[in-house]
Amino acid sequence: MKRILVTLLVILSISIFAEIRIGVLLPLTGGISAFGDWTKKGIDLAHKQKNTVLGEKVTLVYVDTRSEKTEAANGMARLTDKEKVVTVIGEIASSNSMAAAEIAESRKVPQVAVTSTSPLVTQGKKFISRVCFIDPLQGTALAEFAGKNLKAKKVTIFVDIEQDYSISLTNYFVERFEKKYKGQVLKVQYKSGDQEFSAQIAQALSFGSDAIMMTGYYNEIALAAQQARSMGFKGYIIAGDGADAPELVKIGGKAVEGLYFTTHYIPDAATSKLGKDFVDAFKKEYGTLPAMNAALGYDAYMLILNAIERAKSKDPVKINDAIRATKGFQGVSGTINIDKNGDAIKTVIVAQVKDGKFVFASSIEPEDLQ
Amino acid sequence: MTKKAKRDTTLTVLLIIGMIIFLQVANTTFDSYEKQVLSLMAIYGIMAVSLNLVNGITGIFSLGHAGFILLGAYTSALLTIPSEQKIAMFIIQPPSPLIANLHADFLTATIMGGLVAAFGAFIIGFPVLRLSGDYLAIASLGFSEVLRIFALNLQSVTNGSLGLKGIPNYTNVWWSWGWLVVTVIFVVSLVKSSYGRALLAIRDNSIAAEAMGINVFKHTLLSFVISAFFAGVSGALYAHWLTTIDPRITTFGPTLTYYVLIMVVLGGLGSITGSVVGAVLFAFLMEWLRVFEQPFTLFGRSFPAIQGMRMLVLSVLFVVTMIVWKRGIFGRSELTWDAIINFFKKFGKKADERGVGK
Repeated sequence: MKRILVTLLVILSISIFAEIRIGVLLPLTGGISAFGDWTKKGIDLAHKQKNTVLGEKVTLVYVDTRSEKTEAANGMARLTDKEKVVTVIGEIASSNSMAAAEIAESRKVPQVAVTSTSPLVTQGKKFISRVCFIDPLQGTALAEFAGKNLKAKKVTIFVDIEQDYSISLTNYFVERFEKKYKGQVLKVQYKSGDQEFSAQIAQALSFGSDAIMMTGYYNEIALAAQQARSMGFKGYIIAGDGADAPELVKIGGKAVEGLYFTTHYIPDAATSKLGKDFVDAFKKEYGTLPAMNAALGYDAYMLILNAIERAKSKDPVKINDAIRATKGFQGVSGTINIDKNGDAIKTVIVAQVKDGKFVFASSIEPEDLQ
Repeated sequence: MTKKAKRDTTLTVLLIIGMIIFLQVANTTFDSYEKQVLSLMAIYGIMAVSLNLVNGITGIFSLGHAGFILLGAYTSALLTIPSEQKIAMFIIQPPSPLIANLHADFLTATIMGGLVAAFGAFIIGFPVLRLSGDYLAIASLGFSEVLRIFALNLQSVTNGSLGLKGIPNYTNVWWSWGWLVVTVIFVVSLVKSSYGRALLAIRDNSIAAEAMGINVFKHTLLSFVISAFFAGVSGALYAHWLTTIDPRITTFGPTLTYYVLIMVVLGGLGSITGSVVGAVLFAFLMEWLRVFEQPFTLFGRSFPAIQGMRMLVLSVLFVVTMIVWKRGIFGRSELTWDAIINFFKKFGKKADERGVGK
């Protein structure tokens, strides 16, 4: 028994000696665990490729949030107080990131959110940054794409009133689309979990819309697209990054063929060597193409390591300053600049469904969205 | 008899003093993570005790607790968030001027949260409490969902699905445990009063109670309203503990009601001390069991981390608990001073018999 204890102590002391601990706060179980899982794969791959910084070993500490707010707050407190991490990657959902951000702020530990796109996440906060673009940018980009590339004049927007993401996307789309392209917009509402969209589609048809925009998540997008096509809608269907899941095609089948959506990353759009290497490495490791969350998780980890190198310190406050000062960081999802609010300014990718696969259609630079 | 009552009061006061000393020590020596969990225990405790008043003591099966917690949380949060923060946060629709200029200190906000929830219970109590059994459960569940949908759609009041953020972090161990003591003392005194006896009679047999001249509707409404008041208070404390709330199904949905129900049933339906113990256990285990999700080394072999393991262990623990104690840890009985003293007496006797004490 004594020997075992001694061995354990030795193992423990070796692992504690000279290491940099990075916390990862993800929904690994619960409602959005699929996204959490993809992100974990990306982070694990990044950690495998690069696990030392400033000559010290990097240790990842995973904490599950069960896709819940209370757990996100407690998990963050555990990471900062018990696990003594210098930086935290996470969460995914904006509402959970916000609950965690309050704790990170009071402990002065930097947090890097992965795909939390709500503008409220970083508002008034000094210690949370993110590697994704925000809803206003995405909404504006969608308006730009609909107005310029698709030459749409009348757009019906399906708003999921349960998702703040959907509501802010709609708002920024309408603002840009009405002002710059003098288009007409009809808003119809639905709720996450709805199965029946014929009333809204009938409205869209009588409005004479040449495009339907779905601002919610893939499940409802796929179902609504199916019903719209079967009711004889011939125009374009566009969506935000909520459509970016393989399930879209599984549920939607032929109806989602030709659907355009804006997103953070698709493997197909990787043109740089870095991007291609990532796709290859990911395929080799997991036998599948990386999803958007995996790429952003990968980038979050690499960006933090990059910031630690620039800060030349393990001090969380200095690391935070370095994260906030990130300019021109080359990630696999594109070049990342962190602005003064902690939001990433990035290229918006427009993807299209072709033969059941997501292919690159166009990209919109942040400079075009001023 | 009076001597016994005096002894009980003295012991209770001593317990409270002991608790104050413990909290003071905890406040200075615990790190903020432990303090956070400590506060959550008390918040869950208030939720459980207030639900127990309706489900365990009055014997009406209500599933609408999350709705009252939501009312308390939103009311208090809107009262304590500074108005500049409100204006910055309502990005889709500006806050209605009525909401934007409201302000109150934390204690007032908490009590207001409780009162609004109590008022909501009063309004809903009239139609709902005429039902019984499963019908009442479904109606109250529906009511709490209606409240959530309201919070989702009243953009200019609740900021819709964006939720509220930047709620001042007022809840500390003092506020939460203080309110728990108030709740427990209030509910215990209520149960010991003639109203409480009437509530117990209604639980055991409502027809017999009515025949004995108890106004069943009035009494159940009373317990429903009081329970909602404390649920509102716990909601206020919860909002100022979490600092951001939203009307999402994972935050104030039926899951929250079920969690509270688990605490109540675990502790013993009808036992107030049981509810507190159930809530403390629930909050503690939820965090402590995280060790099962970390990679660990056992006998020199290292095992990888398995996510979700915690919930598995927790469920097994609960199932075992319910098998061993069929009516929860405490059943319907309370942990009274008598019971504790008797336990020690028995223990002492046994020790004497074995000759340990000699």
